[in-house]
Amino acid sequence: MKQSGVKALLLACAGLLALSGTADAGTVRVTIAEYSKGTGPYFNEAAQAFEAANPGTKIQIEVVPWDNLQQKLTTDISAGANADLSIIGTRWLLDYVSQGIITPLDAHVTPDFKGRFIDTFLKPSVMDGKVYGLPIAASARALYYNKDVFAKAGLSGPPGTWAEFTAGAEKIKASVPGVFAFGLQGKEIETDVYFYYALWSQGGEIVQGGKSGLGSAAAVAAAKLYRSYINGGLTQPGVTSYSREDVQNLFKQGKVATVITAPFLSSQIKNEAPNLQYGVAAIPAGPGGARGTYGVTDSIVLFENSKVKEEAWKFLDFLFTTDQRTKFDKIEGFLPVNVKEASDPYFADNADLKVFTSLLPGARFAPVIAGWEEVATVTSNALQTVYLGRAEIEPTLRDAAAKADEILAKK
Amino acid sequence: MGRRATAYCLILPSFLLAAFIVLWPLKEIINLALHDVNRFGLLRAFSGLANFRTLFADPDFLAALWRTLVWTAGVVGGTLAVSVPVALMLNGDFYGRGAARVIVMLPWAVSLTMTAIVWRWALSGESGMLNSGLRGLGLIDGNIQWLAEASTAFPMQILIGIEASIPFTTTILLGGLSSVPDELYDAAAIEGAGAWDQFRFITLPLLRPFINIAVVLNTIYVFNSFPIIWATTQGGPANSTDILVTYLYKAGFRLGKLGEAAAVSLIMFGVLLVFTLIYVRLAMREEAA
Repeated sequence: MKQSGVKALLLACAGLLALSGTADAGTVRVTIAEYSKGTGPYFNEAAQAFEAANPGTKIQIEVVPWDNLQQKLTTDISAGANADLSIIGTRWLLDYVSQGIITPLDAHVTPDFKGRFIDTFLKPSVMDGKVYGLPIAASARALYYNKDVFAKAGLSGPPGTWAEFTAGAEKIKASVPGVFAFGLQGKEIETDVYFYYALWSQGGEIVQGGKSGLGSAAAVAAAKLYRSYINGGLTQPGVTSYSREDVQNLFKQGKVATVITAPFLSSQIKNEAPNLQYGVAAIPAGPGGARGTYGVTDSIVLFENSKVKEEAWKFLDFLFTTDQRTKFDKIEGFLPVNVKEASDPYFADNADLKVFTSLLPGARFAPVIAGWEEVATVTSNALQTVYLGRAEIEPTLRDAAAKADEILAKK
Repeated sequence: MGRRATAYCLILPSFLLAAFIVLWPLKEIINLALHDVNRFGLLRAFSGLANFRTLFADPDFLAALWRTLVWTAGVVGGTLAVSVPVALMLNGDFYGRGAARVIVMLPWAVSLTMTAIVWRWALSGESGMLNSGLRGLGLIDGNIQWLAEASTAFPMQILIGIEASIPFTTTILLGGLSSVPDELYDAAAIEGAGAWDQFRFITLPLLRPFINIAVVLNTIYVFNSFPIIWATTQGGPANSTDILVTYLYKAGFRLGKLGEAAAVSLIMFGVLLVFTLIYVRLAMREEAA
């Protein structure tokens, strides 16, 4: 009895091994970040379409919430159990490249294939002249403003400069009770980015010549600007309890008159607050006329240890056809990364998206430096201290700049 | 001798399993903590205690360590203070006791993360239920931004922790109360003892072993509890609500400092080991008594 039990167990194990063995042969595992409810269904559908056209290859989609993506990848990679393809934040790319974890795609990237992309979006995934990833998602930032509130306050259009913005905000405060003029993000991911909009308009840079720009006069001026909005009651109260989604929700509810965020807010408004009258405009410029928006891409990368690189590439090729890209970007509200896709009437005739695409030439991407996440964390912490009014602006930013410099020098 | 050998033989398989589950990861973590590690877990140079030194030089870590103690003491103490009366009431005989017991146990059925997310919405400054409730009662004029500052966020997090720990603790205490014989109260009542005296001289002493167990188990759970703080503030603003687990998570997975994260988890393991030893001693003393 006992012996037969052991035998059965061994057989079962052998069976499992055999099963997993056959599954490996033509299976491409893909880790996908969940951008919205539509992400998983889209990729599963794409996988089915691809499998139908390529019999013998199986695509296995693993959907992970964005917030857990980095944790999953770290644990999977350290255990050698990572998928073949994965979406990663392009700003993490350097860590992956320098550790030799992902493989360049140049063997497959023909000039013809390269020609499919809008260059601005492919460039961040190129390192040392090699293409390490393909831009699966692209986005930029602009100022959303509530047209009804602006009309009530007697404002004719969006502000061109921060000075105009301040004047307009005061009018909104005086004439539209219950509405805060500026939705300011002060919590969680991209708290630092929300500050860079002001920093760039003051002529500052995040990193310049390997040194943090956080202690610069421009950074201090930018922080003073935001702090004056907080103190003057021009922002929602308690900014350090509002994440990006929280501020967007306030805008959808009509409780803040402006918010700076990505194109996907347009599709959210269409679904959740269809009656909201809003416009999209460039982020206000500083006194010297400088302005900047933040460009972001996520890349899909191929891992060095993948045993099915050929099949994986085929799937990538399929994902970046015009049809697939158009479908995906419509679902997610991302910017088109594909030249032909951009001429699709959905994108070409969309007033909101036109604003975003017009801003792209001036878009800045997260600097390609090792330890970027740590610099971002240091920056966000310093900003939260400033927003709370806990400490003087200049010394707080100078301390943070010193910490950031230390991180930049270490790597 | 023979009996003893048999006993050890019978214990051996489960001991080996436990050792494999506990000791092997421990060895791995010690290894990580003593090395310079890249963000994907690849060991580089041996670095001795450098990771620990970095930690103790970081004021955020020291603050998180201290805050973890406050958090644990606050949640465990608060839970006990609420659970003992609740258990006493639920032990009494009254109409609808079954329903009342179910209601007290309900929070247990909801995942901790979900509880925390619901609270995050409830505590939202402009559209949260708590503010609108307090305004409706006329207790506040303007909205309170509960999660904007540690001074309001951290006490609320402790309250959420208490709410989440009550069902488990009440269950333990109810088990204890049902083992107290009713005759003792009858006899005490004849001798003229009031309700307070009965509680002080009969209930409390007989309940003590159960309270001890509740304290130690809750301490272990709460000390390691991640979801409440993470879902409400992620340890912010500016690390002012970080406890050791959230500090560890950020160091390991956001900043990619796996060596330091491993060192934090060893320190946490050390602290909890002390509590576990206390637990074992309590359990043994109770057995001996």
